[in-house]
Amino acid sequence: MTTRRTLLETGLALSAGLALPRIARGASPKVVVVGGGFGGGTAAKYVKKFLPAAEVTLVERDRQFVTCPFSNLVIGGLVKMEQITHGYDKIAKRGVEVVHDEAVAVDPVARKVRLKGGGVLDYDRLVLSPGIDLDYEGLPGYSEAAAEKLPHAWKAGPQTLLLKKQLEAMPDGGTVIIVAPNNPFRCPPGPYERAGMIAWYLKKNKPKSKILIFDPKETFSKQALFFESYEVLYPGMIQWIGGKQGGKVERVDPQAMTVEAGFGEEKGDVINVIPPQRAGKIAQLAGVTDEKGWCPIDPKTMESTKAPGIYVVGDACIAGAMPKSGTAANSQARNAAAAIAAALEGKPAPEPSYANTCYSVVAEGYGFSVTGVYGATPEGIKEIAGGVSKLKAPAKDRDLEAAYAVDWYRGIVHDAFG
Amino acid sequence: MGTQRIVLGLAGLVFSATTTGGAGWALAAPSVETITRNCVVCHGPKEAGQAEIPTLANYPAKKMAEMLAGFKADQKPATIMNRIAKAFSDEQIAAIAEHLGTK
Repeated sequence: MTTRRTLLETGLALSAGLALPRIARGASPKVVVVGGGFGGGTAAKYVKKFLPAAEVTLVERDRQFVTCPFSNLVIGGLVKMEQITHGYDKIAKRGVEVVHDEAVAVDPVARKVRLKGGGVLDYDRLVLSPGIDLDYEGLPGYSEAAAEKLPHAWKAGPQTLLLKKQLEAMPDGGTVIIVAPNNPFRCPPGPYERAGMIAWYLKKNKPKSKILIFDPKETFSKQALFFESYEVLYPGMIQWIGGKQGGKVERVDPQAMTVEAGFGEEKGDVINVIPPQRAGKIAQLAGVTDEKGWCPIDPKTMESTKAPGIYVVGDACIAGAMPKSGTAANSQARNAAAAIAAALEGKPAPEPSYANTCYSVVAEGYGFSVTGVYGATPEGIKEIAGGVSKLKAPAKDRDLEAAYAVDWYRGIVHDAFG
Repeated sequence: MGTQRIVLGLAGLVFSATTTGGAGWALAAPSVETITRNCVVCHGPKEAGQAEIPTLANYPAKKMAEMLAGFKADQKPATIMNRIAKAFSDEQIAAIAEHLGTK
């Protein structure tokens, strides 16, 4: 036994792509998951579930995960920060080793991940679920330092609370500016749900205020539903300035508190800048990104087309018709986990079934959704069926969808971290 | 359990040659286990603590098949399931109901 193990570890195990699956060679396969959001939590949990013999390690910098979903509801005051903050205890109890550290390098040939704390993790399969990196250079005038004055609040946590605090300090009659990014970006309906949640707060507390959304795009997710809801709930309060009207912001100025767009220069009392984005840094470092900064994957398995053995799920990957959402990440991760378990057992990858459901809540008792079921094709992930909530639906449907949003939230948190 | 697996396995083979819902492209269809893992994200188990979305625990298979078919045909009121059910062939709906529902 000792001889065999030594032989395997020194000789065979070092060379990638062996004919014999890892399990057949008698060793526990090692799966490392980097990033403890919806994608990473789900991947770690489900690899362990599908292949209990695997040694699964989840690498996550933070002790707690604050979800981006419902963080707009924190800003609106409908939900408290504690309610969207989750730990990793339940995943750990499932037998996943949770390491609170940061992955700083990946060697895709030797199959090793180096951690900031100095540790090195070997892997047979690696899942990267690093979410997004904010591209501060992509918007002149914006920077990490500027974000302390013009919060992005696009990674939930202190930034969420900063934006909320600024709204609370703003005088009645003030102007809130939301700078929306171009595609692709995390949570396509997010900027517009945020406008609704800010309006919800302002209507009750500072009703003379207004919200301007500057947007380089000409269309956006659930657009007609958002416009309908603004008119029903907050008439005259929210103005959207799209690409055709000069909505593309060229520069922001944190000192003068202005944004410069084709539309003109506007001064804001609160300016929420959602900058351009790219795949999380570790994906760049691992060499699995394309020239635009996102990660191409095999639509059937989520395995990187750039580096065998590395799977990229969630906002960082290029998932065809699927949006960059928590549910999409969760679904991609579950399917990737099944593909990884199969690969480690020497079996072909099962056919995936991807899904997305994404609720937007723009007022208490007013929600709507987009959903889709997707399949893998050789040209990428395509939608089989789906769509958005009906326009002009009765109030009871909006109320139901707001309640369903809460249940969806409970369900996905349970599936990813429970 | 063994019997159920075999039946479902065969059902899976049947759709794989034929349909993937309403899409124009046809590829091998996912197994019913793979499909239904998406369902429980919203229709979580009891311990997820949901209030409004119906739990699928102890849901009769026959009723589930009727509901899904009704959603697919826009004959039952729904906010979201009408959009989701259209992704599945009639055979897949039968298999989903058999897999998740109770006898």
